[in-house]
Amino acid sequence: MINVMNRVEQNINSSLKDSYSVALSMGLLINDNGEIIGFEETAPSLLQQFPVIDAIQMVPGGVIQKVFPYEENKTVIGYDILTDSKTIDEALKAIETRKMYFAGPMPLKQGGTAVVGRLPVFKNNKFWGFSAVIIKLESLLEQAQLKELSGDKYIFQFSKENAVTKKEEFFLKNDLDIEYNISESIIFPDGDWEIYIGLKDPKSSFYEFIPLAFFILFIASWLGWMVFILFKQPARLQKLVNSQAGELANSELKFRTIFNQAAIGMVRVETATGRFLETNRRFRELSGYSDEELNSMDFRDVSHPSDVDNNTSLMRQLLDGEIHEYSLEKRLIQKGGNVVWITLSVSPLWKRGFSGNTHIATIEDITKRVAAQEELTHKEKRYRALVENGAEVVTIFSKEGWTLYSSPSVEKLSGYSETEIKSVNLQSLVYPDDLKIFQQQMQAAIQNPKRPIPGEPIRLMNKAGEWRWAESTITNLLDDPNIDGIVGNFRDISDKKEAEINLNRSYQTVMEQNRRLLNFSYIVSHNLRSHSSNIQAILSLYNTTILEDEKNNYIGLLSKVGGALNHTLNDLNEVVSISTNLDLTIEPLQINDFLDKTIDLLELQINEKGAIIKRDVPNEMMVKFNPAYLESVLLNFLTNAIRYREQKRKLVISIVGYKDTENWVLEIKDNGVGIDLERHGDKIFGLYKTFTQRPNSRGVGLFITRNQIEAMGGSVGVESKVGAGTVFKIHFK
Amino acid sequence: MRESICVIDDDQIYQLIIKKVVERTEEFESVCFYSDGLDAFEDFKSPKYQLPEIILLDINMPQMDGWQFLDCLISSKPDFDKETAIYIVSSSIAYSDITKAESYTQVSGFLSKPLSVDKLKEIASKHRK
Repeated sequence: MINVMNRVEQNINSSLKDSYSVALSMGLLINDNGEIIGFEETAPSLLQQFPVIDAIQMVPGGVIQKVFPYEENKTVIGYDILTDSKTIDEALKAIETRKMYFAGPMPLKQGGTAVVGRLPVFKNNKFWGFSAVIIKLESLLEQAQLKELSGDKYIFQFSKENAVTKKEEFFLKNDLDIEYNISESIIFPDGDWEIYIGLKDPKSSFYEFIPLAFFILFIASWLGWMVFILFKQPARLQKLVNSQAGELANSELKFRTIFNQAAIGMVRVETATGRFLETNRRFRELSGYSDEELNSMDFRDVSHPSDVDNNTSLMRQLLDGEIHEYSLEKRLIQKGGNVVWITLSVSPLWKRGFSGNTHIATIEDITKRVAAQEELTHKEKRYRALVENGAEVVTIFSKEGWTLYSSPSVEKLSGYSETEIKSVNLQSLVYPDDLKIFQQQMQAAIQNPKRPIPGEPIRLMNKAGEWRWAESTITNLLDDPNIDGIVGNFRDISDKKEAEINLNRSYQTVMEQNRRLLNFSYIVSHNLRSHSSNIQAILSLYNTTILEDEKNNYIGLLSKVGGALNHTLNDLNEVVSISTNLDLTIEPLQINDFLDKTIDLLELQINEKGAIIKRDVPNEMMVKFNPAYLESVLLNFLTNAIRYREQKRKLVISIVGYKDTENWVLEIKDNGVGIDLERHGDKIFGLYKTFTQRPNSRGVGLFITRNQIEAMGGSVGVESKVGAGTVFKIHFK
Repeated sequence: MRESICVIDDDQIYQLIIKKVVERTEEFESVCFYSDGLDAFEDFKSPKYQLPEIILLDINMPQMDGWQFLDCLISSKPDFDKETAIYIVSSSIAYSDITKAESYTQVSGFLSKPLSVDKLKEIASKHRK
């Protein structure tokens, strides 16, 4: 029984396939404007080729417009299947599924019962109508060979669920009781049909006739077989030829449909020359050329010059059998000269191992993809350039300070290569005094994930061991699975920082000079005015007396004022010359050498006062100084020590030279009267500041000494206690 | 009643001049001189010492300048300005000195050198009892 079932199924499917081929062929008669071209010529030949089909219809917009054979079917012309409730449901089903659907079996207007296969036709993706085939139910069942197959043993039934009533309708008149006889059924989804097959009389007992029946069957089969061989052989061959010819036509039709309707460009090309033999609609759209133009062109005419050689060599290899297919991305030049990127896939139209002369190429427009890719590559390059060549170093490091990634600019800024930096802990590069700042910044970053934390400038050691000022921003991206680290942006701000330090130094220098200038202008105005006011007063007194003696007295006073004024002017001149003398010779001088000279110069006074001079100055103590200034400075301090000695005890002056970190210091210590620094502290080095009433103390010496030391870049300090003595410390540059 | 005046100034020539000026005014009974604030204060701090009616005080002096003298006097005799009038007399025309003088309520005025006979007469008459 299974055998019988398979036969029925095959037969019906074959009819459905034929119907599909016919409907598709008819559909291809519709041109781009929706007109049906050549129906009258094509329809008869199709009916002849596929005898199972009883009629063909063209149904634009659901209204039957053309029908063949015309005479028997002309009554249906103008009938609108999309308005009739009996037909609309099944017609819509075809549109909805975009597939051929078989309506019926139903009674025909023109008489009889038939199934109608409707193929929905879409033009430019819009429903155009149907191309339909009509198969009379008898033809379908005949094709299925139900009669021949049933004989005495089987009973068939053909059913379909009514689209309106939803009840199963049976189309064959017989007494098959589905409940009782049924054993198998076949379902055809293209028409929602069900064919049942059952045994005619399962209850009759014929066991007693089995041996005889078996014998008769054997003889009959043998005779049938012989007769079949004798008489059916030519018919069988004919049938085979027919079916194969049908298959060929069928696949040719399929190919043509695919070729023309494909959404990608397709061309058939003569392999040896590259000439276009056939092109499809999509390719014509893509290239901008018409069918006629393309017929006289070859692939070179639409290829970018720089792609031609590669393409030609691939075609040569294809022809020689070295390769069996290829695909490449290339540029196609459109009719207007525009260049578009395409993917080309080539398959030869001959079997492997054989030779041939044409191939099929499929062409896909990938301009947008290529443009997007180029844009992406461009962006990536730009981004890399930013990271790699920026003045900043971008690093990703662990919580513990180990570098996981570093931009290449790290080498330019730190001297360490990208690989070397990974073996150095970041914290070990931080200047010890700055470590706390850096750790605070790290702490803040760890506590605030994703927030960029800017930091104060810190010093970092480069590979050469130099400290460089760096400014950084740290962002904790440990939670980001793409980063899994702390991102640091480091900028070298050493030049900026150095400029800042220099600026600050210049500011200090300017402030100091300004202070000295103010002091000097005060001195000038005060000291000169004290003389001029005296002169004014004397003259005023002179003019208001008549006594000759008194007048002479005033003249004497005036000459005294003149002498004092002269002194003052000399002092000021000396001060000005120190402050303005910028191009003094500065040379390395040995302190001991100059101490010898100074002590020689003061020998008489030292001996007279019985002073003791202790010296502990190393010979290597050399300072960069102006020789005249050094003589003046030493002479001044020693003279002061002798002048302000304590009368009650023996004067001891000790001179010590030593190095304080990197600069030389000279200490001159005495056991003299001392200075009350609490009272005079800030004035001790001022001009005309005297602290005793000795007639020869003018308050000029220390002022000039300090100016000379400072002009040489050094500084001077003092420690003193009244009654105990004074220590002056000269710090040389 | 004729007044007494005291001059504290380290300029010897100025001392000679001011002596003549004071004589010319014929307003003062006595005049005394100190060349340093320290010497003057040594005398003035004694409770028995009778302060002069008018003091002419210089600013720049070697051991104790005018300001230090004022500070010392204020701390040892807080009410001294009831007995005496102090004038700062200086050749300085620095603005900082003038404002500093004004900041002391105990200072009666700032006088710029040279001090004329008429100016001194005017001051004497102001403080005549």
